[in-house]
Amino acid sequence: MENILSVKGIKKSFGGVHALKGVDLTIRKGETHCLAGENGCGKSTIIKVISGFYKPDGGTIKVDGRDYPVMTPADAIKAGVQVIYQDFSIFPNLTVIENLAFNQVLANGKKFVNKKEFRKIAEEAVAKINFNVDMDALVETLPVADKQLIAISRALLDNAKLIIMDEPTTALTKKEVKRLFEIIADLKKNGITILFVSHKLDEVFEISDSITILRSGENVISCPASEMTEEKFAYYMTGRHFDNQELADNKKRTYGEEVLSVENLSAPGFEDISFKLHKGEILGVTGQLGSGRTELSLSLFGLNRPTAGRIMVEGKEAKLTDVSKAEELGIALVPEDRLTEGLFLPQSIIKNITVTRFDALAGRLGFIREDSLVEESAKWVKELGVATKNHEFPVQTLSGGNQQKVVLAKWLANNPKILILNGPTVGVDIGAKYDIHKLLHKLAADGMAIIVVSDDTAEVIATCDSAIVMHDGRITGILEKEDLTEAKLAEAAI
Amino acid sequence: MKKQMNKVLRQTEFWVFLIIIFLALIIQARSGAFFANNNIVDIMRSMICPSLYAVCALLAFVSTGPDVSFPLVAALSSYLAITISIKINYDGPWFVVYLIGMFFGALMGALNGFIIVKYKFPSLIVTLGTSSLFSGILLGTFEAARMDLPATLQRFAELSLLTVKNEKTGLGSTLPMPFLILVAVYIAAYLVLNYTMVGRGVYAIGGDEISAERAGFNVKKIRFGIFVVNGMIASIAGLCYAVMSMRYLPNEYAGGEMVVIAAIILGGTRMTGGIGTLKGCILGTLLLTMVTNSLILVGISVYWQKVFIGAIIIIGTAIPAIQSIFGKNKGKKVKGGEAA
Repeated sequence: MENILSVKGIKKSFGGVHALKGVDLTIRKGETHCLAGENGCGKSTIIKVISGFYKPDGGTIKVDGRDYPVMTPADAIKAGVQVIYQDFSIFPNLTVIENLAFNQVLANGKKFVNKKEFRKIAEEAVAKINFNVDMDALVETLPVADKQLIAISRALLDNAKLIIMDEPTTALTKKEVKRLFEIIADLKKNGITILFVSHKLDEVFEISDSITILRSGENVISCPASEMTEEKFAYYMTGRHFDNQELADNKKRTYGEEVLSVENLSAPGFEDISFKLHKGEILGVTGQLGSGRTELSLSLFGLNRPTAGRIMVEGKEAKLTDVSKAEELGIALVPEDRLTEGLFLPQSIIKNITVTRFDALAGRLGFIREDSLVEESAKWVKELGVATKNHEFPVQTLSGGNQQKVVLAKWLANNPKILILNGPTVGVDIGAKYDIHKLLHKLAADGMAIIVVSDDTAEVIATCDSAIVMHDGRITGILEKEDLTEAKLAEAAI
Repeated sequence: MKKQMNKVLRQTEFWVFLIIIFLALIIQARSGAFFANNNIVDIMRSMICPSLYAVCALLAFVSTGPDVSFPLVAALSSYLAITISIKINYDGPWFVVYLIGMFFGALMGALNGFIIVKYKFPSLIVTLGTSSLFSGILLGTFEAARMDLPATLQRFAELSLLTVKNEKTGLGSTLPMPFLILVAVYIAAYLVLNYTMVGRGVYAIGGDEISAERAGFNVKKIRFGIFVVNGMIASIAGLCYAVMSMRYLPNEYAGGEMVVIAAIILGGTRMTGGIGTLKGCILGTLLLTMVTNSLILVGISVYWQKVFIGAIIIIGTAIPAIQSIFGKNKGKKVKGGEAA
């Protein structure tokens, strides 16, 4: 089969930083090709080179058999290359019709607005993917998935041959992802080639025919999806071997005495929940979005007042009415959305790590000694392996995984007895995920009791000793030790 | 049908319209003078300059951000047009004086546009700066003072479109010719904003600049163009003000921007860009003009008017926030309905 796209030896640097060090990418006509790699590996840069927004420093670009010594954005569109950006390139303040029609009307060099023509173009666009939407609605009122479909149908108008989707599933629910995949399958049937950019393992395996992985601006491997395994994928993305056996071995530990006992607890979002947590145990709480798992974690941290039942901490009944009570009892919560709930993004790493410790680190008169902060944060940065050159940098300059490590450090600095993590590795790449899992095992071995709230079953199996499965606010299954398998989790989830 | 109703209810313009009716009825009930012919004409007359400024404020807000320079552009450009016409003893058709003013207005707008587009500075800072600059040139360099209009503008000023007299009170009022200019500017703006790609581009770049660039709009050109046009409209407003006052009053211009901006925000223009209509401009300006002109009919003192204006601005800008809460609740209900 012939190639729709073939780029060779693409180099690109920005102010001395080599973003691409000679990347090759070959995509056959009609396939769904996945481009994977961790954050910062050069995925976005190569897309911008292919679509003509960046001029490469070296290398060749061939689209549909034709060489492009210089590729401009207009050339790329003419050649049938369309990019669906993560922000979808839409106008939230305008109607669906205008969003769909603008590109083509402008490309035709029209100066005036013909409402009938606009509507015709828009209807033609949505018909291509059988997309049902209120044409006169403002786009900002639509759900994310619909915005994406607007971008896709608009791309098809320009006789797209190759559609590049930049991390298209990031903001979608599972159901919406399924719909997107159906559309991709349909497009494929119509002979359209898809370049699917993602770092999510399960999606990559589900959707793609072949895979190319980049790491630090270089090709690592290109192969058919059938030849790729989970372990290889993780290795090629990160360049590290992950010893899953080691994680599994860690699970053979024994627990200490009971530290937390929840008895028939009810609160807004869940009902009649009972479980016990021991020293050195990692308990998983899993379930779909809306199952009550998040609400449960909030109740244990004093943020969601129970209406019935009781919580016992180390044998004594605890009235968790607010966060400071929970903190006094040695409970810490790492929230789900670290950006809004867990970090002060523009502040330095040092300040973020030590914020929960200000009282303890303050001198006699209540003034904080700068060097004690620096010392404390340096300890944690080292302990957790936060990759940064300068502890004074704002947290927002770090990658997702490193931000998550800072959130963890912030709570660990308080030396909690019970650590609750809600979605500890959401949006974190494989390497950092592995590090975080390993850290949890270490903390448990040191005697900390840990609750991992997550909808990622692989994560629950890899880290937890036991798990409770929730559905519609109730427990539908409790799995311990050997029973904690993928199949049994799925069974309990229904 | 229901969908259409919902859409109307979501528009800020609709709520401002209701407030206007409500206020008019109250004033009418208390004074019996609101719907008198002379009061209506007075309000129309008072709306001319603020409504013209409102177009400047709208274009800037929708596409880029606040423009606060239009009062000073108006003052300086009309000063130049009037002075030049007097110096050369011009006595041709009146609109040539307007064209001279628009030329200088365009230059001043181009200065704003150039700095904003080329250096990507925030429009508020740039226009604050140029305002100060224009004011310095007007009052410092030219030492502008009150002056009479050139003969051609004087004659234009004496024409009237409509003269009414209230039978009961004997008070009269006239609608001057600049009202026609206002209508013409609004019609032109409406056509350009809704029926040309450049006009849609104004909204597109306000919605998402990067998307607009990717779609093929010439973002820089459109943005620069908006500030040039703003300069021209401001100069028209400045000359209309002089015509209606029968003389040029250099100190009466500055400070008008805030009420105008308040009026268009009240009329539904979104401060973050992308949303705003001419209809909203008119309604917002009408509401504020009614308050300043008509509260006196109910016996409320001039000082209290400012309190009213302040209250209306705060309530008016709160409407979108209330609506979004209201809208969210509604959305939930609809979803629940679907599930059931």
